[in-house]
Amino acid sequence: MESFGEPTLLMPTSLSLGDTSMEIDKPTSLLSGMEDAVSEQDSGFGSADPTLLGDMPSAPISKPAPMSEDSGFGRPTLLEDSLLGDTPSVQSPKPKSTLEDSGFGRPTLLEDSFQPMDLLPTNTTASSSRGPSPTPTQSESTFSEFGRPTLLEEPSQTDSTQSQGPFAFRILDVSVSYRGLLNSELPDVADIFRSHKSTANSNVSGPRPVAIQRSMVKATTFDGKTVYFRKKPKHIESTPRAAPSRPEKVGTLLSTPIHRLMESLSRDTAARLNISDSLPQASTSTAETENTLWVDRYRPQRFIELVGDDRVHREVMAWVKEWDWCVFGNRKGKKRSREDDNLDEWKRPKEKILLISGPPGLGKTTLAHVVATHAGYGVFEINASDSRSAQIVDERIRPALESGSMIGSKKPTLLVIDEIDGATGGTDTSGGFIHKLVQLIQEKPRRKGRKEPKTTLPILRPIICICNDLYASSLAKLRPHARIIRMSRPNDIHVIKRLRTICDDEGMKVESRALSTLVGMAQGDMRGCLNTLQMIKSKCKDVTENMVRKATAGMKEGDTSQISILNDLFTPLSKKRLKELGLTEEQEARYVGRLSRTIESSGAMDRIAIGCFEHYTNLRRHDGNFSRYLKANEWLSSYDLMSGEMRTEREYSALQYLSYMLVPFYPLFQERGGPRVERPKVDWEHFTQTKTNEEIYSTLAKGLRNAATRLGGDYRHFASDNLLHLEFAPFINRIISPPLRPVNSQVIKPEEKILLTRLVDIMVSLELRFVLEKTEEGQNMFRLEPPVDVFVTYDGKRAADIAVSRFAVRQLVANEIDAKWINQQAVEMTTANGKSKNSFFGHNSGRNGDQVIGDGKLMPNNKDLAPPPNKRARKEEDMVDKVPTDFFGRPILNAGSSTKPASKKTPTVKPYRVSYKFNEGNSAAVRKPVKVSAFL
Amino acid sequence: MSLWVDQYRPKTLSDLHYHEGLSDRLRSLASSGDFPHMLFYGPSGAGKKTRIACTLRELFGKGVEKLKIDQRVFMTPSRRKLDVNIVQSNFHIEITPSEVGMYDRVVIQEILKEIAQTQQVDINARHRFKVVIINEADTLSRDAQAALRRTMEKYMSNMRIILCANSTSKLIAPIKSRCLLMRVAAPSEDEIVKALQFVASKQPFRSIEDEVARDIARDSNGNLRKAILVFEALKMQTPDLTGPLTIAKPDWETYCHKVADMILQEQSPQRVMEVRSKLYELLTHCIPPTVILKTITDRLVSQVDESLRADIIHWAALYEVRLRIGNKKIFHLEAWVVKVMALYKHFFFGIDMDGFD
Repeated sequence: MESFGEPTLLMPTSLSLGDTSMEIDKPTSLLSGMEDAVSEQDSGFGSADPTLLGDMPSAPISKPAPMSEDSGFGRPTLLEDSLLGDTPSVQSPKPKSTLEDSGFGRPTLLEDSFQPMDLLPTNTTASSSRGPSPTPTQSESTFSEFGRPTLLEEPSQTDSTQSQGPFAFRILDVSVSYRGLLNSELPDVADIFRSHKSTANSNVSGPRPVAIQRSMVKATTFDGKTVYFRKKPKHIESTPRAAPSRPEKVGTLLSTPIHRLMESLSRDTAARLNISDSLPQASTSTAETENTLWVDRYRPQRFIELVGDDRVHREVMAWVKEWDWCVFGNRKGKKRSREDDNLDEWKRPKEKILLISGPPGLGKTTLAHVVATHAGYGVFEINASDSRSAQIVDERIRPALESGSMIGSKKPTLLVIDEIDGATGGTDTSGGFIHKLVQLIQEKPRRKGRKEPKTTLPILRPIICICNDLYASSLAKLRPHARIIRMSRPNDIHVIKRLRTICDDEGMKVESRALSTLVGMAQGDMRGCLNTLQMIKSKCKDVTENMVRKATAGMKEGDTSQISILNDLFTPLSKKRLKELGLTEEQEARYVGRLSRTIESSGAMDRIAIGCFEHYTNLRRHDGNFSRYLKANEWLSSYDLMSGEMRTEREYSALQYLSYMLVPFYPLFQERGGPRVERPKVDWEHFTQTKTNEEIYSTLAKGLRNAATRLGGDYRHFASDNLLHLEFAPFINRIISPPLRPVNSQVIKPEEKILLTRLVDIMVSLELRFVLEKTEEGQNMFRLEPPVDVFVTYDGKRAADIAVSRFAVRQLVANEIDAKWINQQAVEMTTANGKSKNSFFGHNSGRNGDQVIGDGKLMPNNKDLAPPPNKRARKEEDMVDKVPTDFFGRPILNAGSSTKPASKKTPTVKPYRVSYKFNEGNSAAVRKPVKVSAFL
Repeated sequence: MSLWVDQYRPKTLSDLHYHEGLSDRLRSLASSGDFPHMLFYGPSGAGKKTRIACTLRELFGKGVEKLKIDQRVFMTPSRRKLDVNIVQSNFHIEITPSEVGMYDRVVIQEILKEIAQTQQVDINARHRFKVVIINEADTLSRDAQAALRRTMEKYMSNMRIILCANSTSKLIAPIKSRCLLMRVAAPSEDEIVKALQFVASKQPFRSIEDEVARDIARDSNGNLRKAILVFEALKMQTPDLTGPLTIAKPDWETYCHKVADMILQEQSPQRVMEVRSKLYELLTHCIPPTVILKTITDRLVSQVDESLRADIIHWAALYEVRLRIGNKKIFHLEAWVVKVMALYKHFFFGIDMDGFD
């Protein structure tokens, strides 16, 4: 008995509530020692009494629940709350839950034989045989046996007994059974037992309402409170088997060997299990038929039940099967030689993801599930109701794929990601769900790197993704990695056939015309069909075409893709569609309502408008006097004005009228067999291009402002938008493309030299430069940066009057610009050091050009102006030193010729000594002997 | 290195090449010691800003030429940051509120208050007030203009405002009434030629052929800035200024003319498509749609029969209004093109036009 463990009071409870066989068990094994055991239990019970019976009424009840489960006997018989009806203090919700939790799933109960009325006498007799105390419950009687104070003696304990009522009764059960077994001669006990074993009905005595499922046992506690026990129906089922043997054994008590009892016990259990397995299904199926959607009820369970294109189904199946080798190991007896080519080192197929796309209602999800089960996988589904962020991949998907078999069934997991086109995050962010998913499947198992074993695990389970819109932008990244399967509308005949069988099952009379109309309206959407049928059935049994029409009004009206709306606008309804919708000519002629609703449903009216705008000129219909074009444009204009006004005034209630502005395209342009409407893209291209150009303009404007800062505000007026676009951009392009010949800058002609110098000056001040780039053909080319030449390039052609500058010329200019930049930066550095000169210099430099064009060199001027305090002079000197060495030992950056005037000028002005220092290793330039005079 | 436009910009009122009467008035105003708020208006490239700068110089002396350019950050009530470029000297400050679009009011309020509440600290300054120059005043929003009007009176002792606008039509009357209006008319052809010759005289080549100067002047349409830009471009492209010279036109203008010609050549759906793609191209280059409309109209009007001109202008005006109100510029541009095509076709084939209004 101790093996049952915890000495808590409930231990006995669980025992006592144990199966009948258990009850038998005890006596047989222990017989004489039984009393000790029992007493021990009871004492255990007793010792726990105080806690148990404490003033906290809920405690005793809540406790038994777990205990009964813990007990090895797992037959959690138990009190239901209903039992406790009269002792509300003890009531607690717990027992109920335990009941359900119990392994056997059926509410069980204290044997119904123990009817409250009987109880008292029986007990009394039983207990009286053992001891004198007239306690109502066996437990108490046992206490008394052991000399403990009985409840009767201690009022406080009486209280607790009351609250303990249910336990008392349970204990009572045990005791009764024991007593029954022990004192089989006692006719009353035997009777009780027998009556219990026979049938529930025979037990009916007293007012107890008898029901097989929920029979109640009424009991009265010692102090007269009435208590109901619920009966466990399963018990009844198991009884017939046990019944015949037991009563006999009751007499002998020990006749059956323990192993037999065990056997029979296990048989009983098995039988019970079977029953409980089968029962719920039977009961639910009947109960639920009325509540479930047909869609669920008639969802195909097996592969062969799938409706639709078999080829698609087989394709999906084939793909899943390709995983077999990887997932289940190589199965012999199958030829794999051909497939092997596609498998990677982990025997996985090349595409690790299957992407099923198609309109709603065709059974994509069902297909995925059916195929997965069929191929022996357990399905792990993630759909739009789950949050789908990047973490989910790591948190849920990966564990599910890696250890799926450990969580639930033994089957390997197959991941189904439903409605993936709605996945959040998009593709642009690296943290998006799709991105992460792609990463997941792309992971290359690295065998060598043992450092991070976690990341090296490749995904070895198939993944099926399901979407409606294959070309949703969020799927762009996934598509290249997935095998794509498109589901299309199944043949109407198959759908109709399936619908017919379903209707027959449901006992509906259906016209076949009605069914075909239905399918036509739904455009092959099985789900839609079934839902409609179910709705019709709720009204009446017969399905006629008329009813179908009524029921499907509004169904599938908006196939809301923009293209199809545009097509609706530009082409009349097809004959077939007309028939499907069952519209008469007259109805068809009333297009306004139909089209405006469709347009409105698209939710993107602006894009519809653009689509109309882009398409209407494609139509072939002759329009000699432009009358239709004029009208169309009038409508478009009004549309734009109205929508603009609506937005600025925030009068969104006007939105409902907007769609009417686009409807007129139908009467104006509808024609059969016209060119198909294409996705509007010109406007978008224009938009992106404009954005790029605006970017270039703003870079240019920034350059202008910087130039203004440097040159004392000279370019600033050009930085305003209109001037920049209309005047500055076209002309600056001409100004910076003089006709230069590609010659060495050393031997350039003087007039060209002037040109070049000026060009370089302007470009430097505007921060324009040539950047060396490689074209796709691998040719080197110099690109203008920022590319302001786009502003003179229309239709991909440069303006005719701007000479194309050759590579060599640009190279020449680029070199000069670089030199100039270095020079200028050096000057800026010095001027930054001597701040007092800043404004002076800044102010002057802008005007220097007045004197000598082409001699815009800042440095010599700067030197002229600098009244040389010694320190500063040296700094400038250093700079002068630096510049030549930077430039491949060439004396002066700008060019040979321009240095001459400078060199003539400078010696006269310079009051300071030239110092020249070569720093070993400091320069990457070519070392070359240079005379000091070259710098003077 | 600056472009000629900036390089040879007159610095003082006496350097100005034309509108001597205006210069005299400005000079006397500046010397009177009682300087009013002013509003300079006139077409683009007429020399408004130059005149403003010269007047400032007349007022404060050489000090105004020491410019400082920096960027100020303003915070809108909705916590958005706005960058505004400010050009200032010790005596004046120059802003272009339209840079920040609809938030110009914030800029106006903040800057004006700041300036107005600080007194001139320079003892040597000739005047006690500072000058605020507001460029592109005609694009100021209503709110900004309203913010301006009270400030103009309240802080008169510390501050004068000079507005610079293309037209006065968009300025509210209270502002106009507080300012002295200065119209700067576009220079005549002769005046432009004179200016070009002045520029040339500063160059090593000393002179420009009168013929060339005249061509440029005619083409520039009274826009001196443009004329000088064209001149410089011409000089860069053909350094010796000899041989057959083509006066460069802005590319968008050439392109607009092409579009106009296309409209007149053929009127068909295909042509509508072609014109549309051209219009898109123009819009892509950030050419303002109204400018496109105007340029094309000008060209059309010069090409078509007299009887059509009024109609074309009428419809151009109508569609320009729509352009300004609407969002999708291309819709209205194309609508106008189709309209013109229809008009032209009807005129050409002599079809009765009763169906149209």
